[in-house]
Amino acid sequence: MTITLNRVLRNSLSKKVLTAFSLILAPVFAMAADVVEPPQEFNPMAWDWSTLLTLALMLLVILVIARAFDIGSLTEKISGKRLVSPHKINGWVAIIFLVLGLIGVWYEMVYHGKHVLLNDAASEHGAVYDSMFMWTFGFTFVVFIITEVLLFYFMFRYSYDENRKALYYFHNNKLEVIWTVVPAIVLTFLVLRGFNTWSKITSADNEDAQEIEVFAYQFGWKARYAGADNKFGDNSFTFISGSNPLGLAVEGSIDELSQSLTDEIAALEALIASADDSAAVWSARLKDFEAQGRQRAYPEAYKKIREMAMDAESGAYVRSLEKEIKRKSTNIKRIAKFRADQNMFNKSAYDDKVVTEIVLVKNQPYVFKFRARDVIHSAYMPEFRAQMNCVPGMSTQFAFTPIKSTDEARAEKGNPEYDYYLYCNKICGAAHYNMKIKITVVDNQAQYETWLAQQAPVVAPVEAPAVEADPASDTTSQATPAVAFN
Amino acid sequence: MSTAALHAEHEAHHEHKESFISKYVFSMDHKMISKQFLITGIVMGMIGMIMSLLFRLQLAWPDDQFSIIETLLGKWGVDGKLDPNFYMGLVTIHGTIMVFYVLTAGLSGTFSNLLIPLQVGARDMASPFMNMLSYWFFFMSSVVLLISVGVETGPASGGWTVYPPLSALDKAMPGSGLGMTLWLVAIVLFIVSSLLGGINYISTVLNQRTKGMSMNRLPLTIWAFFFTAVLGLLSFPVLLGAGLFLIFDRSFGTSFYLSDIYLEGVGALENIGGSPVLYQHLFWFLGHPEVYIILMPALGITSEVISCNARKPIFGYTAMIISLLGISFLSFIVWGHHMFITGMNPFLGSVFMILTLIIAVPSAVKAFNYLTTLWKGNLRFTPAMLFSIGLVSFFISGGLTGIYLGNAALDIQMHDSYFVVAHFHLVMGSAAIFGMFAGIYHWFPRMYGRMMNNTLGYFHFWITFICAYLVFFPMHFMGLAGVPRRYYQFTLVEQFDVWIDVNKLITVSAIVAGAAQLLFLYNFFVSVFRGKKAAQNPWGANTLEWSSPIDVRLHGNWPGDLPTVYRGPYEYSRPDREEDFFPQYVPDESAPEVLEPEKAKSAPAEKEVEEESSVFFAAIKRVFGLG
Repeated sequence: MTITLNRVLRNSLSKKVLTAFSLILAPVFAMAADVVEPPQEFNPMAWDWSTLLTLALMLLVILVIARAFDIGSLTEKISGKRLVSPHKINGWVAIIFLVLGLIGVWYEMVYHGKHVLLNDAASEHGAVYDSMFMWTFGFTFVVFIITEVLLFYFMFRYSYDENRKALYYFHNNKLEVIWTVVPAIVLTFLVLRGFNTWSKITSADNEDAQEIEVFAYQFGWKARYAGADNKFGDNSFTFISGSNPLGLAVEGSIDELSQSLTDEIAALEALIASADDSAAVWSARLKDFEAQGRQRAYPEAYKKIREMAMDAESGAYVRSLEKEIKRKSTNIKRIAKFRADQNMFNKSAYDDKVVTEIVLVKNQPYVFKFRARDVIHSAYMPEFRAQMNCVPGMSTQFAFTPIKSTDEARAEKGNPEYDYYLYCNKICGAAHYNMKIKITVVDNQAQYETWLAQQAPVVAPVEAPAVEADPASDTTSQATPAVAFN
Repeated sequence: MSTAALHAEHEAHHEHKESFISKYVFSMDHKMISKQFLITGIVMGMIGMIMSLLFRLQLAWPDDQFSIIETLLGKWGVDGKLDPNFYMGLVTIHGTIMVFYVLTAGLSGTFSNLLIPLQVGARDMASPFMNMLSYWFFFMSSVVLLISVGVETGPASGGWTVYPPLSALDKAMPGSGLGMTLWLVAIVLFIVSSLLGGINYISTVLNQRTKGMSMNRLPLTIWAFFFTAVLGLLSFPVLLGAGLFLIFDRSFGTSFYLSDIYLEGVGALENIGGSPVLYQHLFWFLGHPEVYIILMPALGITSEVISCNARKPIFGYTAMIISLLGISFLSFIVWGHHMFITGMNPFLGSVFMILTLIIAVPSAVKAFNYLTTLWKGNLRFTPAMLFSIGLVSFFISGGLTGIYLGNAALDIQMHDSYFVVAHFHLVMGSAAIFGMFAGIYHWFPRMYGRMMNNTLGYFHFWITFICAYLVFFPMHFMGLAGVPRRYYQFTLVEQFDVWIDVNKLITVSAIVAGAAQLLFLYNFFVSVFRGKKAAQNPWGANTLEWSSPIDVRLHGNWPGDLPTVYRGPYEYSRPDREEDFFPQYVPDESAPEVLEPEKAKSAPAEKEVEEESSVFFAAIKRVFGLG
């Protein structure tokens, strides 16, 4: 009698376990199947409430199974015999998990591994990087497989048995020394190699490298090439204006900025002078609004009016205007201080080219100088194994030599649309995910020069004869040159 | 109920009458406080998890609309489409909740509070009042953080690390306005809570141990909690400093972190001379120890649970303590590995690389010791045991990828990519949460006097375990392909198109894993009220907490005298004993042959014990000018 019950229960239990698992994991496996084959028409709307319903149903099934197990253990108690050991079941599940997990790891390596950028570096130091990666991968993968296999095998092999007693085994100094020393040796190797790689990358020889400035702002990038004189013009954040986004030392644009700041201050002072009137206006408007009982119908407008009235009354409005004036006059003062510095305004910024695409020449070493205007950004060029943060108030740099042109990469990928990009990789605001600039690597210097010639310089060159004819009288016209930015 | 227990209950009633408020709300009993931490942690955990599911929906189906998003988020999810600003907010608050509120306070707060007095044999914490304050500061902090999610301009949204200038300027991002102010307030309250708790844990472990409980007889849980508290005590004040500077920069016009900034729509700011990198140094000086503040209690719990359920002494008790000590020490001098590419001097980068990779040695020792503890054990698969083994698995897979990220050269490519997301979610996220689950399943009988349902626990474990790997394993490959983290959608870059299927797989697995947590909630709350009554020592464990009466809530833990400790906590399956465990508090009546001379020593004389702790005590007295 007990034997029959035993058999029935064991069978039904294992079946139930399997059914439950397949039910729970069905959507996951379905998705995995989706990954194997090109995803078919997938209707995410179907995932809205029906998914939750399906999941709820599955949870219910699990609850029922849990009840079944409870009944099973009750039967055990009554009959006094162990029907099915949860320890054995879990041991088996562990082995199944191990096997499926290893298949999954293999599948990932094969299927997704090919999308990984390994051994596909487009820069000279990329090969060094990739070899460092492969060494690390080799060691860690071996350790990963050995330890995980042991872990799940032990779960299976040593699952509970009433008649067995565990080994009373406290410690073994020899063993512990071995697994302290062996990882230490392996890590020493990796550290030395890593140290070597790191120094190679960070101390790239910059003798004949061309400098390019990369400028980050919310939410975009600009690159600056030095132009004909091969010298970057000076810059300061105080010079930045709508027409001079990089804050370059260009007299005309800066004087314009100074002037407009002065005008703005005058306007703000006028507002302060009429602050009492405006307070009266706002409070009258608020009273009107309330008298007409429109608060309900236009809550947003009401809120705005009330805020304005309150700010006007408490003086917060005037204080904020005064703060603005202080900020703007500081800016004017700083500009005036810089303006006296003739070294800064040596016109070397005039022929600089500010562009919205980075063009590099294959096999030419480059040093990228990074600047940021507002918050921290990070210039991330994964194909080139290059990344550096762009920090406001600080100049950072990264040097590399591209070795694979865009055309070569396109041919390799079999994708005529393929392009290199520089992405932003430091959280910087709402449009962080869409902050990128195209990098084109051309095959030879000539192509690059053709491209560069098409780019407008910061200040359109004034016709040479006019300047030479009468330099003294021309200062005013030169002080307001046309500023040509893209 | 035993007469002793009845007597104790009577005594407890006699001493102080407890009202509902003093018993359940402003309780000073460490056991009740641990339950408060646990429930708050679970609630916060559920909120954090739901947030992650919402932004996972966005990542998997960026072009589709979900009515559930509009229902939950209102103006941030118009037409069922998640707003990019709020996406950032969700990412930030998810990180903050999980790191601080669930895995620091929820894990450490719960189990340090429950286990330190019970396992060292103390009536309560050194200062029960401070302990209560610690919980209520944590509670206030949680409330403030949750309120910040609902403010008009949205919650803090600069990532959980809130790097300035982004977090300092409300014109740079709407979330950096009121939401960020509330975030800072919440964190300051949290730090206060954490410090109050930490001081208590340390002084209790050092001073309140019962007779015979020398430091080398402490369970590994206590060692882990002890080191964790020391780490917190040394590193949280630095975050407090960093936060205060940030508050000054935001509200009082200072320039600690701000310099040379021009904001679109505002103009050039006045601030000059500060450095945003300074914040990163200060933040990661906490931030890195914080990782171990999260992980070490989970490792301690795992040591205890694995040893108990393998019915086998933990392998290399001393090595485990030394590796914890090594990890704790090293964790303070490796923060720079979060900053390899901030423009830090490359030489400094190589120093941090060397120090970082050294941490792998004590970590490897721990992993191997766990494996050896399982070897030739008699593994009893309770849900707690399964979760502990799951932790070991995550600790290995996630720890190994740390060797890539700690390498300055490799970090160039992987920094802030999905590889990092995969790494820390495995090694500290999943591993620590599994440690927490192991602790809950293991000590549930100790907390509530009832048992949880094992079968539901099995399902909970296997589904969560499989889904966690399905979620985080493929992320390594995304990271290696250069996919940046914290992107609102990937469809704007053609290179990332191939990962859309993976994103769907990850999201679906995350939803299934989320659903599995409902099983846990059901199991937990039903068992609290209707679970099977627990036996006094249901797992056959050795440690002291199972000698305190389980069926009666007793402020003071033991009726009558405190128990005496006669041996170390891991005497399982001694060949000379019939039973496969030998509790610390059971005297050795048969006086058998000495198997492990240093372990089987009889209880030392009281004077000896006092001497050992009196050194610390005297030092503390001298420092604070007491006595």
